Amino acid sequence: MRNGMITKFRTKALVASLSAIAIGAGVFTAPAKAADPVTITIWTFGDVIQRNLVAEYKALHPEVTLQIKKSDLDPLDGTNMVTACTSKTGPDIVATEVSYSGYWRSYPKCFTDLRTMKTTGEPTAGIPAGQTANDIAKNYLPWRWQQGVAFDGSVIGIPTDVGGLEVAYRTDLFKKAGLPTDRAAVAKLWPNWDAFIATGQKYDAKLSAADKKAGVGFIDNAGTIYAAIMNQGTAKYYANDGSENGKLIYATNPQVKLAWNTTIKATNAGIGTRIGQYTSDWNIGMNKGTFATILAPAWMMDYIKAQAPDTAGKWDIAAMPGGGGNQGGTQLGIPSYAQNKQAAYDFLTWYLAPAQELKVFKSYGLFPAASVLYNDPALVNFTDPFFNNAPVGKIYAAGVQTLKPIFEGKLERAIDTAIGAGLGRVAAKKQTADKSWAQVLSDLNKVVNN
Amino acid sequence: MMSQIAERERKKALSPWKSKSTNSSSSKAKKAVQFPGVKSLNGKWGYLYVAPFVAMFAIFGLAPVVYSVYISFFHWDPLGTSTFTGFRNFNNLLHDSDLWLALRNTFSIWALSTFPQMFMAIGLANVLRNTRLRGKSFFRTILLVPNITSVIAITIVFSQLFGRDFGIINDILGWAGFGHHIDFIEGVIPSHIQIATMITWRWIGYNTLIFLASMLAIPNELFESSSVDGATKWQQFRYVTLPQLKNTITFVLIVGTIGGLQVFAEPQQLAADGGSSKQFLTLTLFLYNQAFVNNKYGYAAAIGIFITFIVLIISAVNFVITRKISNDGTR
Repeated sequence: MRNGMITKFRTKALVASLSAIAIGAGVFTAPAKAADPVTITIWTFGDVIQRNLVAEYKALHPEVTLQIKKSDLDPLDGTNMVTACTSKTGPDIVATEVSYSGYWRSYPKCFTDLRTMKTTGEPTAGIPAGQTANDIAKNYLPWRWQQGVAFDGSVIGIPTDVGGLEVAYRTDLFKKAGLPTDRAAVAKLWPNWDAFIATGQKYDAKLSAADKKAGVGFIDNAGTIYAAIMNQGTAKYYANDGSENGKLIYATNPQVKLAWNTTIKATNAGIGTRIGQYTSDWNIGMNKGTFATILAPAWMMDYIKAQAPDTAGKWDIAAMPGGGGNQGGTQLGIPSYAQNKQAAYDFLTWYLAPAQELKVFKSYGLFPAASVLYNDPALVNFTDPFFNNAPVGKIYAAGVQTLKPIFEGKLERAIDTAIGAGLGRVAAKKQTADKSWAQVLSDLNKVVNN
Repeated sequence: MMSQIAERERKKALSPWKSKSTNSSSSKAKKAVQFPGVKSLNGKWGYLYVAPFVAMFAIFGLAPVVYSVYISFFHWDPLGTSTFTGFRNFNNLLHDSDLWLALRNTFSIWALSTFPQMFMAIGLANVLRNTRLRGKSFFRTILLVPNITSVIAITIVFSQLFGRDFGIINDILGWAGFGHHIDFIEGVIPSHIQIATMITWRWIGYNTLIFLASMLAIPNELFESSSVDGATKWQQFRYVTLPQLKNTITFVLIVGTIGGLQVFAEPQQLAADGGSSKQFLTLTLFLYNQAFVNNKYGYAAAIGIFITFIVLIISAVNFVITRKISNDGTR
């Protein structure tokens, strides 16, 4: 380590003195091979930056050091970037979860417009020189790409993955309840959400009294239906009126009311277990078969594998009621005060190139946002033994392509939180649906006007 | 008899120090302290000595406070344009039912965590004081382990213990004949109990050590003479130990109150929004969510100022109580 540093320092000094001579002599051209060492700092969370790919890039570019700082406490990711932008500092690359894209699209000044950057070129990875964000946009799912575009059209983030959302279900439990187990037949059970709820009731009717007492149900948490339906629409809480922030329509948008009412219906039908996702009860329930279905984004597959390894082969994936779905996803951007923009852009374009996104999908299950892969046999024919050899690539690709772009605004997360709490109150039988909705509106009124 | 002699000896030993300190402080009142050899700079050295602290405090303590007061009068956007709104934030805040809810939750969690904890800590300290106890140092050391454990880790473990469907506490309640499962998240008091338990577990060892230290400072002669008078263990505890702990109890209460007003990580980890009906939204979590979820920095600053006023009121109450207790003590 120590020796390596000294050697590196010496090489650098040598190159520096050589180039000084070159300038003095005016004949010598600096050697192109010995690139200066550069450190790219990355702020990220979870497993957005994959270790094996980092090692791969290190082999391609020994002069590049990637310094990765992970923070997993949810809002911190956004807070750090606000601080960085106000104080005109920041990392070279920042990972932003899509729930923040509604916020950041109002502040393009905090990010480098990636349309102005040009790749140096990576012949071994098939990346030509001189490519701007405009040139690579065609590789990605259009609505997903839009989530990284600011109100003024500048590109502030390039998608790493798209959440996708399909139904993960337990074939063994379906069989026990007398339901079909084949994924095509299962998808036919629920062409729409009402049919999904009816299927859930059918499942619950077959449960033994002991199971019912133990809190067994059809879906892990009926509240998750809300977000699924919201993403199937064309607008959420904002309408694009051409302004910087958009216009708030949460109180009038019929999609909100539809998603709310359907979720309440599912809750009242008792098809959910009321276990919160990512709680210990959820992890245990996954193993015990407390619920037979989960609305699962692609990235959740890895979570299920890790938490319930003994259920391998018992799961399968079927299409969502009412078409496709999405939940989550991340994009990488370069803050405007980054120190090594060129090196960062070169890494970013390599890391998010379709070939690399495919590797991440195969090893970790993050579903590629690079839509050029959706017809690639490597993705289409990819099956997962844990999920009963379901062609997960094909299923998720079909789902995410049915979605439309949705305009997102600054208060997206606050509104989601307030409505989620409202659904929680109904599920916990603390309030009636009408009262709870009234409180959601008064809570949101405070969020917007206070 | 023995004890009286010892007491006299102690007073004698203390007296020179006492008289010296009164002398120097009275001379300081009249005239600056003389430093031999640096006469010309007399009086100015003091400022130099406190300068590092004052500088640090000004940068990291005072400046943010002043800045918070400033931004509380704005609709503040750190990245965009901010508009001056006068007292609007404060007016909205006092009409915000969430504020009073957060105040209620904060005090409920504070009461549930402070008082049971204090009784247990005094009890534990009394056990550890026992001179015949084996492995005393070991027990005294492990008491501090919860205190250096990460709050996040504590929350993860406790939320598993308190799980509604598969939590061990509900299992035990079930065996004890308690029919239905308690929801330690959705219920108001159950969720407060869960959070208070985490706080108690984390701080009980620390407080035990403080009580232990002050118990060990109680002159042994008091116990000796009381046992000569025929006092039982319980009577010794009740009439010797407890009265001597008065000041320590006040100290622990004050520290506990300060900590109680800052409860944040535990509820935040249970549910970031403080629960579906905000049943465990605390004051600091309310502030944090307004600033970093709703992007209302000015409003959050106003909440901060409100919390400051609450602290001032509590400090005043504490001050009065402390003075009353210490007066009682000298009587």
